[in-house]
Amino acid sequence: MTHRLTRMKVIGVHGSLLQLITAVAILFSLVACATVPQPPNQELAAAETAINSADQARAVDYASAELQEARTKLAAARAAVQQEKMILAQQLAEQSRVDAELALAKAEAIKAKEINDEMMKSTDVMKQEMQRNTGDKQ
Amino acid sequence: MNTQIYRFKKLIAITLTPVIFAACSAGPIKPEGADMARNNLIQLQSDPQLASRAPVAIQEAELAVRAAEVPQEDVELGRHLVFMADRKIAIATYQAQSRLSEDQRKMLSEQRDNARLDSRTREADRAHMDAEIARQQAADLQRQIAELNAKDTDRGLVVTLGDLLFDTGKATLKGGTIGHLNKLAAFLNQYPDRTVMIEGHTDNVGSEDFNLGLSQRRANSVMTYLIHQGVASNRLTAYGKGENFAISDNESATGRQQNRRVEIIISNTAAGQ
Repeated sequence: MTHRLTRMKVIGVHGSLLQLITAVAILFSLVACATVPQPPNQELAAAETAINSADQARAVDYASAELQEARTKLAAARAAVQQEKMILAQQLAEQSRVDAELALAKAEAIKAKEINDEMMKSTDVMKQEMQRNTGDKQ
Repeated sequence: MNTQIYRFKKLIAITLTPVIFAACSAGPIKPEGADMARNNLIQLQSDPQLASRAPVAIQEAELAVRAAEVPQEDVELGRHLVFMADRKIAIATYQAQSRLSEDQRKMLSEQRDNARLDSRTREADRAHMDAEIARQQAADLQRQIAELNAKDTDRGLVVTLGDLLFDTGKATLKGGTIGHLNKLAAFLNQYPDRTVMIEGHTDNVGSEDFNLGLSQRRANSVMTYLIHQGVASNRLTAYGKGENFAISDNESATGRQQNRRVEIIISNTAAGQ
């Protein structure tokens, strides 16, 4: 029993050493990251794609404010990349993307409702016409 | 030795735990607006119309809200995560609304089809009713013709007014038989397309010239009366035919009475038939 405990302790000491090495390695790599920051290219591309999709859905007609915000933030994200503020750039790119996605979703929702409203209107017109016609005869 | 180390560790743990907790409570905080985002998401998730209509987007919003709810040291990061959560919720809501509209469209198109069908059915009913009215009108015409004692001839409908209308040798209408003339006037007013010829006839008592004149005056009297009853004068013509168109012999009183008459010939027109 005691023997086994001692063995475990030994393994524990070895484990601590390993952890220390790992921690140091991570610290180094983080420092490395901080000194050479990578621009958030993936997020920037995603934002641009989302803006294009919204454009194609004529979001400017239905959600121009949201679309404009997406464009402004994408520009700001690019400016932040220039200033090597990569975390800010990534956040702005992500926000630009959801703004564009929101513009698209809003435009689609409004368009869908417009079609329905149009259908309801034509049904109403038909009903009214019918009532008027029967009213004439009676 | 082992127990000593263990005790030491325990001591450190006991001492440090409150310190760590204190640090925690002072440091990372739940970002402002996260609770609001959660409320909005719950509202969307419990909306019976919308909750099931954008499952993927709602799941993404759920993940974004969870990320926003994690306490953060970095206030800016917290703000960013809340913004992302808010947007994802709005996107999910709009997507669900789009889907709802699409789902409603089937019902709306059914309603529109029904309205269209209704209007066509009613149109057909109306046509049917129009035909019924026309049939009724034709039946009315037949009844009226019968009432007027009119004969359907090649020249048209001929109504013969007997001499009881006039005193002997006079052209003034007598009051008693005017009812029959009123029926005729009403009939003519009902069928304004028909034109009317009024022919006066006499027996052979008296000179031919006198009879010609008398028959003309009597025809004129009837025409004047009809004009007074609202029949347009351009539909009416009056002729005095004198004594030459007898319909019975002039030897008996009855025969002569039958010959003293005014005939009203109403043209047959396609309209009103």
